[in-house]
Amino acid sequence: MWLSLNILSQMVDTTGIDPEELALRLTMSTAEIDSIERVNEHFATIFAAQILDVKQHPNADKLTLVDCDLGTRKIRVVCGAPNHRTGDIVPLATVGTRFSDDIIIKKTKIRGEESEGMLCSERELGLSEDHSGIMVLPAGTKIGASLSEIYPHRADVRFEIDNKSITHRPDLWSHVGFARELGALYGRPFKSIVNYDLMKTFRDKEKLSVRIENPDAAPRYSGLVVTGIRIEESPDWLKAMVESIGMRPINNIVDITNYVMAEIGEPMHAFDRKKLSGQEIIVRMAGNREPLTTLDGSVFELNPEDIVIADARGPVALAGVMGGGNSEIEDGTSEIVLEAASFNPVNIRKTANRYAHRTEAAIRFEKSLSPELTIPALLRCFDLIKQVLPGAEAASTIIDAYPVKQKTIVIKTTTDFIRTRLGENIDDARITSILTSLDFKLTPDGDALSIEVPSYRATKDISIPEDIVEEVGRIYGYDTITPKAPSVPCAPPGKNLFRLFERRVKTILSGNHNMIEVSGYSFIGEDTLTKLKVSEDHELRLRNPLSSEQDRLRRSLVPSIMNSVRYNSRFHDDFAIFELGRVYLKKDRSSTELATERTMVTGAVYRKKTGDPLFYSAKQIASGLMHKLQVADWDLVPESSELPPFAHPGRAMKLIVDTQAAGLVFELHPETIVAFDITGSAALFDIDVDLLYATRRRDTVFTELQKYPDVPFEVSVLADRQVYAKEICGIIRKSGSDLVQSVSVVSMYEGSPIPEGKKSVSVKVVFASRDRTLTTAEVEKLQKQTVGALAAKGFPLR
Amino acid sequence: MEQELTSLRAEALSAISAASTVDAVEELRVKYLGRKGALTLILRSLGTLQPDQRAAMGKLSNEFKVEVEAALEAKKGELAMSGVKNLANTQWIDVTLDTPAATDRERLGRLHPISQIQYEIEDIFTSMGFEIHNGPEVETDYYNFEALNIPKHHPARDMQDTFWTEDGNLLRTHTSAIQIRAMEKVKPPFRVVGPGRVFRYESTDASHENTFYQVEGMMVDRDITVAHLIYVMKQLLKEIFHREVTIRLRPGYFPFVEPGFEMDIHCLICNGKGCSVCKQSGWVELLPCGLVHPMVLSMGGIDPSMWSGFAFGLGLNRLIMMKYGINDIRHFLSGDIRFLQQF
Repeated sequence: MWLSLNILSQMVDTTGIDPEELALRLTMSTAEIDSIERVNEHFATIFAAQILDVKQHPNADKLTLVDCDLGTRKIRVVCGAPNHRTGDIVPLATVGTRFSDDIIIKKTKIRGEESEGMLCSERELGLSEDHSGIMVLPAGTKIGASLSEIYPHRADVRFEIDNKSITHRPDLWSHVGFARELGALYGRPFKSIVNYDLMKTFRDKEKLSVRIENPDAAPRYSGLVVTGIRIEESPDWLKAMVESIGMRPINNIVDITNYVMAEIGEPMHAFDRKKLSGQEIIVRMAGNREPLTTLDGSVFELNPEDIVIADARGPVALAGVMGGGNSEIEDGTSEIVLEAASFNPVNIRKTANRYAHRTEAAIRFEKSLSPELTIPALLRCFDLIKQVLPGAEAASTIIDAYPVKQKTIVIKTTTDFIRTRLGENIDDARITSILTSLDFKLTPDGDALSIEVPSYRATKDISIPEDIVEEVGRIYGYDTITPKAPSVPCAPPGKNLFRLFERRVKTILSGNHNMIEVSGYSFIGEDTLTKLKVSEDHELRLRNPLSSEQDRLRRSLVPSIMNSVRYNSRFHDDFAIFELGRVYLKKDRSSTELATERTMVTGAVYRKKTGDPLFYSAKQIASGLMHKLQVADWDLVPESSELPPFAHPGRAMKLIVDTQAAGLVFELHPETIVAFDITGSAALFDIDVDLLYATRRRDTVFTELQKYPDVPFEVSVLADRQVYAKEICGIIRKSGSDLVQSVSVVSMYEGSPIPEGKKSVSVKVVFASRDRTLTTAEVEKLQKQTVGALAAKGFPLR
Repeated sequence: MEQELTSLRAEALSAISAASTVDAVEELRVKYLGRKGALTLILRSLGTLQPDQRAAMGKLSNEFKVEVEAALEAKKGELAMSGVKNLANTQWIDVTLDTPAATDRERLGRLHPISQIQYEIEDIFTSMGFEIHNGPEVETDYYNFEALNIPKHHPARDMQDTFWTEDGNLLRTHTSAIQIRAMEKVKPPFRVVGPGRVFRYESTDASHENTFYQVEGMMVDRDITVAHLIYVMKQLLKEIFHREVTIRLRPGYFPFVEPGFEMDIHCLICNGKGCSVCKQSGWVELLPCGLVHPMVLSMGGIDPSMWSGFAFGLGLNRLIMMKYGINDIRHFLSGDIRFLQQF
């Protein structure tokens, strides 16, 4: 919203206050000022000059040399316009005048002749579209006067308010509201712009009445019939003001209603009286699918929650939002009905949102405007109409339906309470003077204060003692409050163990396994899911997605990680990434229960060059994680049947924690690699962090170092190609009781001379005892047992 | 056999003397003295000799063994010493090279910058006695709005454009939603923070993102004041920025606090002189805060006549952007290693 300093200055004296300082004061005590804009600042160096002489430019046919009198000095300029004559008083922009960042008037030579300024057309001054020649000021204009003196309403300073910061202050959606604030901040009186004496001139000729059917939806409706109207362009001062507050001038009546809304904060509307049918204005709820065309040409089928203004025939306006096309004022309008009303903010908000018509009126009504504003607004409106159209007359008294009066709010509190909340020792006198300056009426009530809230702040804004604390605090200045350390119990805070666990998982992956943590959106779309062949429509949908690629909530981190793998593979040949984040699971998507959120950790190892299967890298990280987390009961088992379609069926393992499936480690299915258009290959792990967190952890217990010698033994056996080495190692482990200290695969070999479909597996076994040196005989026996056990299970020595 | 031994001795000694590397010396040791070495074979055949010959040959073989061993050790020592003397030349490598892995910065593991700042801030809060709480990212209207004094159809809902899920719930628009959940769990007095991911229904550009991170904080005790709020925030910011920061407190409207504030800090880029980051104002809006609205305390089951408190929210993305001069908020969720490897 824009605030005009010219308008504010009509209500409070702002002389001697620098606009920057004013903006800072408002920002620190009232509402955030986003920017300051000086309107026509350059008018200060454009002066009324009288032309003394016009001579032909010696080197150019179309240029003239013009000698001008500025009162205090004489200046020569070169001018290309056709119309200026000796004796004319014209606007002359002197050296230094800044029309824009690019156009700054400089002393210059034009075709060899010096020019110390520029004579301006109306268009160059932004006063009209006329560019046919130099603007000629009225005879008698004071020579040497600046344009800011000649057109005071055209030179203004405007402040842009951050609308969010006045959401709770209906009174601040107006100049009156800010003028009152300035009055309180600077200790200057607020001057009302409403002339109540005008009511004496109202004549009760028109028999128009108002009926409110639903006082809850419309607590007040006030109107005034004005005759003697002529619809025409607004005078320049009004156009300038309307432009200053960020609106486009339309015609005198519309401009005045808009202007009054900006001044007082009450949205106004003017109906063409002759287009209204009957003698009664009815404020009622709309019928179901009742049609209405608003004055912007939109056609609506209304809803019973919408409020309409209706005449005998039907709706003539969508209340609080926009007038109807059928009652719109137009060039021939001679009588109008001015409307100022009060509507239920929730109805207006719903209506404005329903029809995407968040008009200036609706934005104000939804903030809970006081119904006490209607009469001042009508009076001000009539006052301005009179100024613009002296022949206008109020042909009715104020027509007013006000079935439910606004409640007076009185808050009882103490100055002690205010001091206690602020934590600052502000004395009673200062507190009462601040509240009085803000128009609160104070009555001592024993030790307490009874504080009557002014009507314009009593709709929603101020209702509890804490609101009074804010009023005192903000005018006193929060910045002047001395910080104080709270006295608190001295005890260590409780720990959030889950969060610490998450951190541990991330630290292990990034620190021990050199993975880079990525963070992906919680959203996913069908496109990615289809590439993974998991588009089964289980995801919880958004009602208002931003795009089809982000229209539902992820059930797995794999899709996000895959998009990351694909993206990064464009820039890197070799990387490892992971994400720890939440997935959102819901069986019955229509139930209102919250989705179950589980925390998953998903990682990918990518390599552009083909080589050893990447599966082993992912597996190493997953098992490394289990070891570092000291998960007591876990295992990785080969998995080929129950795999998601994006997992390689021959290169996958399932992570089992406490007999529960806790995740997968797998290489990507070649089809997935093609679907994502990735060069190279990737292996992933996808693990449920909640399960890991909940599981039992292995205690660290010291193991005595091995004191007696190890006896290594290497054995190579022949096995079918798809036999898991783990199986062979298991046989060996079982064969030698606790004297088998370790079993590890040394090498695998396929190819000549090993028969087709077979492989050779070399295993290193280490025998040792915890309490003695093994004898040769014992070792030989162990070796025999090992070989025998392998042979018995069908793994002959090679 | 004696002759055999003699010639073997000569051959061994000459070979040892000619050896030029430690490895070659070791090979010779194996050749002559190893398990299948020449001398070993001779020793094994001693058994076939007459007893008198056996003794003589045994003695001779042992002398041979001692002599060859000594020669081997001497040669090894000589070679080792000569190698050490000239290591700088003989074993010179180009130390300015790297292993292929080390040249790729992306091969170093890292935490996401958000995680890094989050943990730093959590540690600061923990050190100041705050407990860390969690809440769901998909929230109910109640926890995200109603219990925070933002009823349905309240204009304040415009301040936070919301993603709605098909089941009538929403993606939390602020970590303030954690406030009520925390109050349901802990009894006053308490200090809690709730970090997490939040969502806004907003088109993205360099300064707008639909997903970002906040930390919510709340302290409730007897007679908590604005002065306490300012004190605690100043301490917090000093820790975060590792230096004293100049702050200012001005009115700000948030329905769940009363009075409500915006806390600005002196722009860290220009030290308050005015620059493009602070839009020439010298101040950067950092921290919305205020005294907890009595209605919110009541919603959390706390009697506002007995207790008061303050609450605040800290936007982490903005903080990191300011700290490192990042100009586009979309980098955070891009998953781009080129971005992530910088922190």
